[in-house]
Amino acid sequence: MAVRPDVRLDDAPMQPVSCGTCGAVVEARKSSWDQTSIQWNDDALAACMERRASSPRPGPNGATFTGCAALRDAIREAAVRGLLDVVDDEPLKTNPDHHPDQYDTEVHA
Amino acid sequence: MTAVGDEVRHIESGPPPTRFARGWHCLGLVRDFDDGKPHQVNAFGQKLVVFAGEDGAINVLDAYCRHMGGDLSQGEVKGNEIACPFHDWRWGGDGRCKQIPYARRVPLRARTAAWPTMTQDGMLFVWNDPEGNPPTEDAVIPRIEGYDNPEWTDWVWYTTRIEGSNCREIVDNVVDMAHFFYVHFTFPTYFKNIFEGTVATQLMTGQGREDVARPQNSGNGPKSTGTTSTAAYYGPSFMIDDVTYHYSDGNDMPTTLINCHYPIDANSFVLQYGIMTKKPAGVDDEAATATARKLGDFIRIGFEQDVQIWRNKARIENPLLCEEDGPVYQLRRWYEQFYVDVADVKPEMTDRFEFEIDTTKPNEAWRHEVEQNIAKRAAASGQPV
Repeated sequence: MAVRPDVRLDDAPMQPVSCGTCGAVVEARKSSWDQTSIQWNDDALAACMERRASSPRPGPNGATFTGCAALRDAIREAAVRGLLDVVDDEPLKTNPDHHPDQYDTEVHA
Repeated sequence: MTAVGDEVRHIESGPPPTRFARGWHCLGLVRDFDDGKPHQVNAFGQKLVVFAGEDGAINVLDAYCRHMGGDLSQGEVKGNEIACPFHDWRWGGDGRCKQIPYARRVPLRARTAAWPTMTQDGMLFVWNDPEGNPPTEDAVIPRIEGYDNPEWTDWVWYTTRIEGSNCREIVDNVVDMAHFFYVHFTFPTYFKNIFEGTVATQLMTGQGREDVARPQNSGNGPKSTGTTSTAAYYGPSFMIDDVTYHYSDGNDMPTTLINCHYPIDANSFVLQYGIMTKKPAGVDDEAATATARKLGDFIRIGFEQDVQIWRNKARIENPLLCEEDGPVYQLRRWYEQFYVDVADVKPEMTDRFEFEIDTTKPNEAWRHEVEQNIAKRAAASGQPV
């Protein structure tokens, strides 16, 4: 049985992103500002410092490394800078707790 | 030339695999096999006999006696051997014929197929490998903290036979974010998959659908409000779901769910699921087990709905996915490693892959649907909304 590529990659492929902390290069894809897929390889995994420093969480599935925060930031930054495409064309959401009308007076006061 | 949008998309079904996955498969609970009687298990396209000898070791052999083809699962356990009902040939757990009571000696080549077994945390596992090799080093099943622990209940266990479907259908579930709403009555507010090596993980935070009655919410007790779960497949067929049920009174109930299967043949499999919960303070064993049973019965409703889908659906090699769907293709790429020889496992099958879904849009749609359902029901019963 041949392994098939994800049909969604036809229109928007994975793109390389390098981590600002350890320099690991992964392939990433963002469907939206809050949706990310990351393809690692052995070299990237070996370079990741957070992974090396991580310790198992409690529970039977605690050995799973849930993700690298530095890499997540690097991917987000690449998307903000326009170096990584975001499939969804909605603009980047601002802080949902930030209400411009409410604070405008304070800012300008 | 036809515009892309005008072309009919065709389903590619493809045949199910002709071999069975390499890996540990849970056959069920030890307590259901260690009674000193032979048990017939149809798995991996064969008929097997499972029996515990006097020494307590549980053995798995091909059920057909190499002498004249008698069915060992209809035989009798004698000492540490299984005796064939046809001519009383005695087979040991290592697959060798140990004794033929009416013969001077056992013939050469009197050896049948034996499967490596493992018992762990009350469960019986059998190692399947089409290449015939012993268990690989990366095939490790983590320990269950709650087993044989007075603070937890024992397993509440369910077994069901699924006809007309290849077992890949249930494995697909691990990435299928949206089906949890439609089939299992919960909607994920957070959903992420991680595949690495032989492990496929799903991180999920879920809220119960308020428009669906839940058995564990019957009566006047606290209502369940949602779940936080880390579920992972260890190999092709055995999933541990470490899940915490949250309740309206602020109490959490740590729970361990098992979701496992073994193939009978290419088009049927046995699905098993087990549940154990940590006993809340002041709750006796019986009451805690009853709660676990209620949870299990609710989970069963979801699985029964899965089965109904599988029975009627097409096998599909080229699913058409929207952005809010999970990584079906990447999951199958991971799953493929268990269907090829060890020498043919490629890095792309085992390299780490992460996929986190943005649940914003699905949650908006589902909240709206739930509200509408509740309003409709209230209108029908004449109560104010």
